[in-house]
Amino acid sequence: MDKRHPSSFQQLEKLGEGTYATVFKGRNGQTGQFVALKEIHLDSEEGTPSTAIREISLMKELKHENIVSLYDVIHTENKLMLVFEYMDKDLKKYMDSYTSPATVAGTSPRGALDAVTIKSFMWQLMRGIAFCHDNRVLHRDLKPQNLLINTQGQLKLADFGLARAFGIPVNTFSNEVVTLWYRAPDVLLGSRTYNTSIDIWSAGCIMAEMFTGRPLFPGTTNEDQLLKIFRLMGTPSERSWPLISSFPEYKTNWPVCPTRELRAFLPQIDHMGLQLLAQMLQMRPEMRCSAQTALQHPWFAEHNARHAQQQQGPGGYAAAQGMQQGTGGQQQGQQQRAF
Amino acid sequence: MAVITELSHLANPLASSTQLETSNSQLDGVPRDLETSIRYETARLLQAAGILLRLPQELVAQSIVILYRFWVGPDGGSLVDHDSTDVAAASLYLAAKPSAHAVSPSQTLQVFHYLNQTRPDYAGAAKQDVPPEDIDWHLSEGDLETARNRLYKVESTMLRVLGFQTHVALPYGLCINYLQTLDVSSSTAGSAVAKRAFAHLNTALFSPQLLYLTFQPSALATAAIYLAARETGAGLPETEWWEVFDVDREDLGFLVVALTSVEGFATEEKQRWGQRKVPLSVEELQAEMERRTMLENGQ
Repeated sequence: MDKRHPSSFQQLEKLGEGTYATVFKGRNGQTGQFVALKEIHLDSEEGTPSTAIREISLMKELKHENIVSLYDVIHTENKLMLVFEYMDKDLKKYMDSYTSPATVAGTSPRGALDAVTIKSFMWQLMRGIAFCHDNRVLHRDLKPQNLLINTQGQLKLADFGLARAFGIPVNTFSNEVVTLWYRAPDVLLGSRTYNTSIDIWSAGCIMAEMFTGRPLFPGTTNEDQLLKIFRLMGTPSERSWPLISSFPEYKTNWPVCPTRELRAFLPQIDHMGLQLLAQMLQMRPEMRCSAQTALQHPWFAEHNARHAQQQQGPGGYAAAQGMQQGTGGQQQGQQQRAF
Repeated sequence: MAVITELSHLANPLASSTQLETSNSQLDGVPRDLETSIRYETARLLQAAGILLRLPQELVAQSIVILYRFWVGPDGGSLVDHDSTDVAAASLYLAAKPSAHAVSPSQTLQVFHYLNQTRPDYAGAAKQDVPPEDIDWHLSEGDLETARNRLYKVESTMLRVLGFQTHVALPYGLCINYLQTLDVSSSTAGSAVAKRAFAHLNTALFSPQLLYLTFQPSALATAAIYLAARETGAGLPETEWWEVFDVDREDLGFLVVALTSVEGFATEEKQRWGQRKVPLSVEELQAEMERRTMLENGQ
């Protein structure tokens, strides 16, 4: 994989800039195919950034249609560049630029998506999450900016810089994960033994945001984030959440808010959708549904039926396999030596 | 190395037979026995550094496996190109960095600098809480800067050679899990068996047969339990229980022999080198190889 030179990709416009990387749109000089080039800054204080090490070691193995593909890693003396599948925009930008028929009619706020699109995105999001969890990977930083959308309406999980593999027994983790707005209450309370359920909470927040066009819990600090959650979900107590007082961030002076029904502040969502959302937005991590259970929810019945049909249909399975092999050819460079 | 088709963080990519047959170091003229000695000595160095840095044993194990992965095979790293002390420091730094126990470059480098002066008596060095006064363990600002740049460079080379495969599935957690399944852990002898089994898993890290590169964690855990139970007299099921953990009798037998032979290997190494230092830098290695050539010519 070190034989490929960065110049085999034509660098186009800048797509974004993060703390540890700059992302450019690029074009493969040989095939003309568009790619996303993530250039890692190496002049940092720690050598190769740990985020890059995590992302590459995990993404090399996570191959799924709802997870953005890492095609190649170009590693030269002074440069580290990841070549990803190109996606048109992230969910945040998608929502910002989206005008639904309902918005035009004035019945829905700007940024809100239509119900059909939301269900499709949620189904794809849960499939991506389920695949990660089945393979013992926590994403830990799910937010609209990390979900990428292409022109075919496909949604894929990206940015695995904070992700980590979990084994048995589950170790204690850092609680500096997940952008505040999508952070689960147990993490906000200082838990270091969280598990897959933190990704489910984030997914629930994202689902609500797609319906309303606004973040569900836009907190400013750890404390404010918790209070925003309590205001809608109710302030937890030892009765509703046994042992809550043993969390490091537990306070006895929280304002007591009653539990409100999701329906009251999310009237846009249909009955069945609300049912699913309620299972995802559970305060107690052990009460939250798993990604697999969410996918089995009747709200997704149509998508599951269509998916099953595609898998069984004449040539459907083989065709799908063929497509995967098509993109797989790109990876030969980095697969030559597995370690 | 076989490409992993099935993703699992509980399994490791194993070294292929080609990789085990020839290493880049051997292609560069390093005799096999010398390579084995250096690999063993470097693993010991890493273990001592891990203890001094108060790192969990799992991280130490992971760095030793990363170190072995780097040296193995014709397209691996060569002892002629890299000081093995540098590679050891980079392995530890690299393994710790994405974990919850990250260590700074200067901590890592100071510890390796200190150990480099105490070798070959790492055991003594790792036991002491305060470094002896006659040892200058302090790296000057300038030396530290140079060493840090070298660390980053070696790290980058390692990542390239490893193809970023730094994840290592370890047998420790599985071992406890198996003991619970076998209903051994709850008995009074349970903790004795567990301790003994962990000791075997730690020993396996130093085996010249690179057991962590040739067997999956499930096989290592099973063999460690088998031996530990035999030594402590803890009762295990009469049946062929290891099959439940996907280990066959042949692999189990091989591992039991391999694990029990490490002690003999270590004693031999100690006698062979005595107070002489095993060459851990390119310079020392070249001097040793010249010495050997001269001895051969002299006879």
